[in-house]
Amino acid sequence: MSATLGWLIAGPFMYLAVAVFAIATLKKVLTIAAMPRHLRWDLYPIAHEGPEGSAFQKAEFWKRPRHYNLACELAEMAEEILLLKRTFLYNRKIWNFSYPMHAGFYLITGWIVLVALGAVAEVASGLKISTASTVFWAQALNAVTVVVGAGGLALGLFGCLGLLWMRYTDEDLRDFSSPVTFLNLYLLIALFGVGLAAWLAEDPSFVLARGYAASLLTLGPVALPPLMTLEALLFGIFLIYLPFSRMLHFAAKYFFYHNIMWDDEPLVSGGGLDKTIVGYLHYKAEWSAPHLKSGGSWLEQATTNPAKPKEEGK
Amino acid sequence: MKHKVRLKDIAKPAEVLCPLAATDLDPVPGYEEQPFKPAKPDWQEKYDFSLDGFSALGLTKPASKEEEDALVDKFLRGLEKLFTRENNWTFMQPTLLSTDYCVRCNTCNEACPVYVESGRQDIYRPNYRSELLRKLYQRYFTPEGRLLGGFVGADVELNWRTIYRLAELTYRCTICRRCAATCPVGVDNGLLNRELRKLFSQELGIAADGVHKSGTMRHLQTGSSTGMTPAAFLDTIEFIEDDIEERIGRRIKIPIDKKGADVLLIHNAGEFVSWPENPAAFAILLDAAGIDWTLSSESMGYEGVNYGTWYDDFQFARVAVAQVQAAKKLGVQRIVVGECGHATKALVEIADRVCVGDLAIPREGCLPLLEKIVTSGAIKFDPGKNNFPVTLHDPCNMVRLMGIVSPQRNVLKAITPPGCFREMPNAGIMNYCCGGGSGFAVMNTLNFPQWRDNVASRMKAKQVLEAFKDCLDPAIPKYYCAPCSNCKGAARDALMNHYGFRDKYNIIYGGLVELMVNAMVDIPKPFISWEDEF
Repeated sequence: MSATLGWLIAGPFMYLAVAVFAIATLKKVLTIAAMPRHLRWDLYPIAHEGPEGSAFQKAEFWKRPRHYNLACELAEMAEEILLLKRTFLYNRKIWNFSYPMHAGFYLITGWIVLVALGAVAEVASGLKISTASTVFWAQALNAVTVVVGAGGLALGLFGCLGLLWMRYTDEDLRDFSSPVTFLNLYLLIALFGVGLAAWLAEDPSFVLARGYAASLLTLGPVALPPLMTLEALLFGIFLIYLPFSRMLHFAAKYFFYHNIMWDDEPLVSGGGLDKTIVGYLHYKAEWSAPHLKSGGSWLEQATTNPAKPKEEGK
Repeated sequence: MKHKVRLKDIAKPAEVLCPLAATDLDPVPGYEEQPFKPAKPDWQEKYDFSLDGFSALGLTKPASKEEEDALVDKFLRGLEKLFTRENNWTFMQPTLLSTDYCVRCNTCNEACPVYVESGRQDIYRPNYRSELLRKLYQRYFTPEGRLLGGFVGADVELNWRTIYRLAELTYRCTICRRCAATCPVGVDNGLLNRELRKLFSQELGIAADGVHKSGTMRHLQTGSSTGMTPAAFLDTIEFIEDDIEERIGRRIKIPIDKKGADVLLIHNAGEFVSWPENPAAFAILLDAAGIDWTLSSESMGYEGVNYGTWYDDFQFARVAVAQVQAAKKLGVQRIVVGECGHATKALVEIADRVCVGDLAIPREGCLPLLEKIVTSGAIKFDPGKNNFPVTLHDPCNMVRLMGIVSPQRNVLKAITPPGCFREMPNAGIMNYCCGGGSGFAVMNTLNFPQWRDNVASRMKAKQVLEAFKDCLDPAIPKYYCAPCSNCKGAARDALMNHYGFRDKYNIIYGGLVELMVNAMVDIPKPFISWEDEF
């Protein structure tokens, strides 16, 4: 690989990847958020209702203040995000590998933050952070960065390999796995695997990574050794691909929980939600089954009786 | 035996894709499997049985290539509409999210009683039909599907067989949403199943007779899905008043059309036809508790069901709006829905974003009111009168989908002696469907009931046996409490008639209010009897 190509990957390509990731993810999230408020489709227990449980359990519940227990909601979210609670409870076989993979991602995200912090600290203090550092905080930061980074890469690799093995050997999973599912796993395996190799062979205390981060932050990107360049290429591809793949479920999950399962906002006559729904009732629906009036508004449809009731005296 | 059926196989010209046999099913302790009766030859000639040998929809086979092509065209038009704002604002966001972000981990599979009890047949996986939806949507409506086809999973062929089998498949799921409760991401295969049913109903005019023609259409035509007109309703009430007098020795005048009452009670009208003791028990309790209540004789005002909940947004909205308009006409303070799970969820929760403006009348389920009656001390109960084992069924719609878990338990604890009430395994939020959910209880055409009783209700049968395992001796009378009309329908058809629980084990079924009245101190005779036919 020529030095110029290496620099192009480590510098301009990485900026491009980060920009595509940020813009595409934001666009996806905003598109989902802008979708219409749907009919209620709750699934209980709703975490923010806390130990008291569903509001529907109380007679004349609308006369009571709506309870919102943020602590319970955060606790449930933490269990689900940090421990993959549902997978643990209902699919332990997958959890055995899915959890290490997700933990790998969390740790690598933390590692990126630590590397960036280290880079900023180096620029600000003029100190070099490495195993040879004589200052305590620099030594500590270096040690934590190494443990988190190497741990994240190893866990991620282990988890992805396990999931790949399951997708190949479990007949049921295999039928539900398209080639792109395998491609996703191969990409992640390459990402974690090359990262691990680069750490071992080229940058055991992440000194180069820290320097690279500083160069990116100061808009003067530097070229990297071969394995690290390959890792930068894979990471850039991953970032660009992520918003367009189902791996974006980490963002979609927010909407699944907060906008669907836990969306217990009651409609108050004359309130904002009421007005929003009234707006939807003017939409024209084009469904064409015989019992519907194609092209009529939702309001017309909802107040039309296709069965023409018989008039009978009481 | 497990029939291996891959997703791509759905379009195959096989006569029956997954020929289900009784021997495939997971055994029920103490029950001797009977071979399935084959579909009658004239049915087989006329209707499509090519999914699993059963038919819930009575789909007539297309007679020409033109008919086949028309089916495909219509299906695609409907599929597109599911993902457009104007045509599907009601569920677009959940539909799109559940379509795009499934990670294919199959965690949902083991949560599904139909899949598990069928002997884990591939076609009944909760994600089988939704994966087909995803693949077809990708193939025809996404750039990556059009460009990359099978590489991204868009590899299912769309022909009339795919459409018919998929339509039938949507009526092999009770939309209990137990699968959604286990999904690590939050994907809701139950919702996608409903969306598919919606596509078939709203675009192709395909729906099960029990929920559409004899369901919402009859409801909108006569005022009740039972076909009961207002005049017939008034006759029934008179009969119930007579029945109450006979049972408790005094006549109660059931209030009808009382303007400005505090409570408008709306029952599932099936109660009046099949279990009149249930509205009778409500009348006794509300009268004794001094509640200002009424029933409505207005068309749509005495029928709580809303079968649109399971298959069609427009039919759902039409029924809900008409029900609330009937309440508005009476000027009541609130609507209370009787013992019917889907009716409660439909009117109280889902319709919350349909009944806007001046239709936003307060609505609630009956269980909290019943709990309040017990805890208020308005009625004196003697738990000793309910001195027999009781187990409780949690209707999915009230429990998992509305979170109403404790009121019914608090009532039971107050009206039964210690040790009599026992939970069944998986009680509460993760309970299993009765097998009658999503319309199954009222779907009785062709050979579908055979499938329903054998497969959909099988897990419930096991749960009930497990709950009563220490007292299965028929000398001990037992009560299966199902505070939901459709769940009682499933109990009657599957647990009693098919599995023979009443004859074998002396288990009867009924609602919660019957048990409450049975425990009332000032009711001279038992309200519940193991001799009467409930």
